Amino acid sequence: MSGLVKAELRKLFTTRLWWIMLLVMLVLVGVGLGFLIAFAGVEQNGSALPARDTAAWAEVAWSSASSGGIFVMILGVVMMTSEYRYQTITGTFLTTPRRGLVIVAKVIAGLLVGAVFALAVLIFQAITVIPAVTLSGGEFSLSASRIPQISLGILVTLALYAVFGIGLGALVRNQIAGIVAAVVWAYVIESIFTGIPALHSVGKWLPGGAAQALMSIDVDTGLGRPEWLPAWAGAIVLVGYGLVFAAVATATTVRRDIT
Amino acid sequence: MAAIEIRNLVKSFGPVKAVDGVSFSVEAGSVTGYLGPNGAGKTTTLRCLLGLVTPDSGEALVNGERYVALSNPVAEIGAVLEATSFHPGRTARNHLRILCTAAGLPDARADEALEQVGLADAAGKRVSGFSLGMRQRLALASALLGQPRVYILDEPANGLDPAGIEWLRGFLRHLAHDQGAAVLVSSHVLAEVERTVDNVVIIAKGRLVRQGSLAELTSDGADAVRVRAAQAADLAPALEAAGGVVEHVEDGLLRVRGLDPEAVGQVALDRRVVLTEVAQERSGLHKVFLDLTEGR
Ligand SMILES: Nc1ncnc2c1ncn2[C@@H]1O[C@H](COP(=O)(O)OP(=O)(O)OP(=O)(O)O)[C@@H](O)[C@H]1O
Ligand SMILES: [Mg+2]
Repeated sequence: MSGLVKAELRKLFTTRLWWIMLLVMLVLVGVGLGFLIAFAGVEQNGSALPARDTAAWAEVAWSSASSGGIFVMILGVVMMTSEYRYQTITGTFLTTPRRGLVIVAKVIAGLLVGAVFALAVLIFQAITVIPAVTLSGGEFSLSASRIPQISLGILVTLALYAVFGIGLGALVRNQIAGIVAAVVWAYVIESIFTGIPALHSVGKWLPGGAAQALMSIDVDTGLGRPEWLPAWAGAIVLVGYGLVFAAVATATTVRRDIT
Repeated sequence: MAAIEIRNLVKSFGPVKAVDGVSFSVEAGSVTGYLGPNGAGKTTTLRCLLGLVTPDSGEALVNGERYVALSNPVAEIGAVLEATSFHPGRTARNHLRILCTAAGLPDARADEALEQVGLADAAGKRVSGFSLGMRQRLALASALLGQPRVYILDEPANGLDPAGIEWLRGFLRHLAHDQGAAVLVSSHVLAEVERTVDNVVIIAKGRLVRQGSLAELTSDGADAVRVRAAQAADLAPALEAAGGVVEHVEDGLLRVRGLDPEAVGQVALDRRVVLTEVAQERSGLHKVFLDLTEGR
């Protein structure tokens, strides 16, 4: 099994996509952070983001890294669909005819890559959020801003989003369709249901909502206080999605004719 | 136990019966040509054998086992399939190393296999810059990684230039005759494999139409002998008297059936006719192939 996981990691790291995705993720997380820095403490519609020197702002800013999930998901989609797109799936299954093992290896590799992306984005957060707080005269406190729990939430979320991508990729097989579906899911459906508090009753059950629950951000960002599941329930929901997507990947791959 | 054994294999895609009850086997130490026109079901048969396609019924076994049951398939059987492709952004060496990693082989096998197929110089190049022939060689290299004793190749000559085809011919015969491997090679172009194979299996429309050794199939195709002589007109009646069926191809050139070259030579000697050319024509198999495949 470790050989198969290593082979999957090698597939990813011998092509260019991974670092392009990493770069794009860091740029977009950086842009989001730029907005949070710019609008900190600015009043809009009667409520406001916390000010930059507060522990609450650091909490919100740190958690914004969870938006990197989509890039890991796209990477997961590509891990699966590029095998069909370039027909390398033939060689993969000739080498490992027990297809379930290939899926398990891809899922493990996806979890690892997601975790590596999470570490990268957390380092990025550290070198941007901490100076932003201290330069504004605030004091950065790991415990007051609940950095460990949020970081763990980001780690788990990004790792699992890779698995969602693998499941989605196995289901649709077409690379473009898979990436479009992932983007529409993350930027349209999830952001509607988790962004608008009135829709949180549904949104909290979606992966994005469960990821928020895991980080337990309880700060009013100007749109009203969110109502997420408890952190433990968020974890269960998120892992549940991971298992469902892994099962989908297996079910759609194991018996399909490769012609 | 045959290296490759196919028994009553049936596979349909919707209404299309791609393979309809095919049985044959391939023994170690021989090259078998799997021939048929486009759409005959060759690729489907080979994919069933390799566990990529699930047959509706029947069996396809490698070394007595289903492919998916083999514990280390790469070490038992090497396959080159028609639609094998590569990630264009990956180098040849990396492509093979990934397969090595998955199969538990040392990375060094990648370079050794590239060497064997004459791609050592291109090992570090991205596949996007490869010609069709180079891709075909890379596919062959991937089949060699585990040093198996059974080879399955689907239209391996596609994209190779004449020198490449000649090289492939030598390589496959070396694998079978010197190393004792069993080789099954498909083609829809008879001429490509005619000088490579020992045995032939012909299918058309999913059904087996003929199988046997190359020699057997050639002999029932009414072989002809080409005879060139200045006094062809004198020679013709004598050949007919000796039991031959003579066809005048052009001035000074005869095509004789029913006599072998030695008998033709004897008649010419008796008649004191000078022969400028005597050659066995191997058009027999071509005719068999055309009759068997197009005739139905
Ligand atoms: N995935 C598929 N879906 C539907 N029909 C298929 C599929 N694969 C093959 N077929 C059909 O099965 C038949 C046999 O195809 P196959 O590819 O096995 O032929 P072949 O002998 O390899 O032909 P060629 O010489 O062109 O490679 C054809 O009629 C083809 O259209
Ligand atoms: Mg074919």
